[in-house]
Amino acid sequence: MQDGISATGSLLAVAVGCAAASVWLLLPRGESGAREYSSRRFGTLLGIVALTLFVATGHRLGGIGEEATFLVVALVAVVGGAATVVTRSPVYSAIWFALAVAGVAGVLLVLGAQFLGVATIVVYAGAILVMFLFVLMLAQPTGMAAYDRVSNEPLLSAVAGAVLLGLLTLFIGRLSAGPATCCAVPSKAKALAGSTTPVAPSPPADSTGSDPLAADHVARLGGELFGRHLLAVEAAGVLLLVSLIGSIAIVSRTPAEDGAGLVARRAGP
Amino acid sequence: MTPAPLVLDGLIVGAMLFAIGLVGILARRNLIVMFLSAELMLQGVSVSLVAWSRHHGDWGGHILVIFVLTVAACEAAIALVFVLQAFARTGRLDAAAWQSLRESNLPRVVDRELPPGDAVDMKFPTLTPAGVEPAIDEAAHLQREHV
Repeated sequence: MQDGISATGSLLAVAVGCAAASVWLLLPRGESGAREYSSRRFGTLLGIVALTLFVATGHRLGGIGEEATFLVVALVAVVGGAATVVTRSPVYSAIWFALAVAGVAGVLLVLGAQFLGVATIVVYAGAILVMFLFVLMLAQPTGMAAYDRVSNEPLLSAVAGAVLLGLLTLFIGRLSAGPATCCAVPSKAKALAGSTTPVAPSPPADSTGSDPLAADHVARLGGELFGRHLLAVEAAGVLLLVSLIGSIAIVSRTPAEDGAGLVARRAGP
Repeated sequence: MTPAPLVLDGLIVGAMLFAIGLVGILARRNLIVMFLSAELMLQGVSVSLVAWSRHHGDWGGHILVIFVLTVAACEAAIALVFVLQAFARTGRLDAAAWQSLRESNLPRVVDRELPPGDAVDMKFPTLTPAGVEPAIDEAAHLQREHV
């Protein structure tokens, strides 16, 4: 038992180290063309190794690989996210982000959140991403700039991300091993954990319809949202209105009014 | 206690997305890419919330993700307005253009000379030309009588 845990831990450490090295190699560091090409190729290889190791570790931790669909959409999400961060051209970065959003929507669907999967696609890929692209086209129509080819502290950033990922994965892995050590678990969840249904935790018999995998999923979600959380919905509506008014108010105050913006722009690069 | 199937996997995917977004927001200098990384972190949190919702068999995580989506939309609107204003003042989308706001004891970011890149990212797709270009009489084309 102890040996298994330490082997998994060292495998996880190797995986996280490979991930950090891969991200560091892939991040823009202002190298010349040939060196950049080779380091990107090597970084991609290392990333594939890290992902494979992660799948192996996760299999021991909880069982990645049970659902092939989940594996595929999770890979799409993670690879899209990594490419968003390391791509030089910001336009390509935004398009990789759309792929990552598609992967996340797939993950949400597999996890049983049908409405949220569709809403994520609509809100992120449909609205937010298009806004980002509008701003990019407006501000940087020539594509990649010099500051897109260098990073702030690429090594430290990659190490920080790897440490965070390793700690989170260790903590998550501890959930499956032994009794819950993290927090007090509500009695309902304990009852669910006791049940042996293979697909989903079936709700208690006296449930008021809180099964995320039910057939009338969206209707129940709407009932919950507009029933128990009606005040929060109203607050979110006010928040949307205030942010709309605020953004209009900010953008209509052009910096040219005080002249500083024009001066800075003429003196700029 | 053992969690429901796929809960741990969902949590791990959420952690990976969160860590990737953290690296992006720390390392990249383009304001737009930094915001994309922040959105990536929000996506990771959403995946984790839905996984916990599945674990506990209730709606809490789903409801919270709906509000995360709402707040993300508001945040994107306000943030893009700020980015536009910053661009109007400096003419760049560079976070280091605002380094005069840093603490006085921190060193200055100095841009070094960049070696020439191979501009792999700047190759944009083109359409293959097909057919034959018709012969157009330039003078007649410019001064045609009807449109």
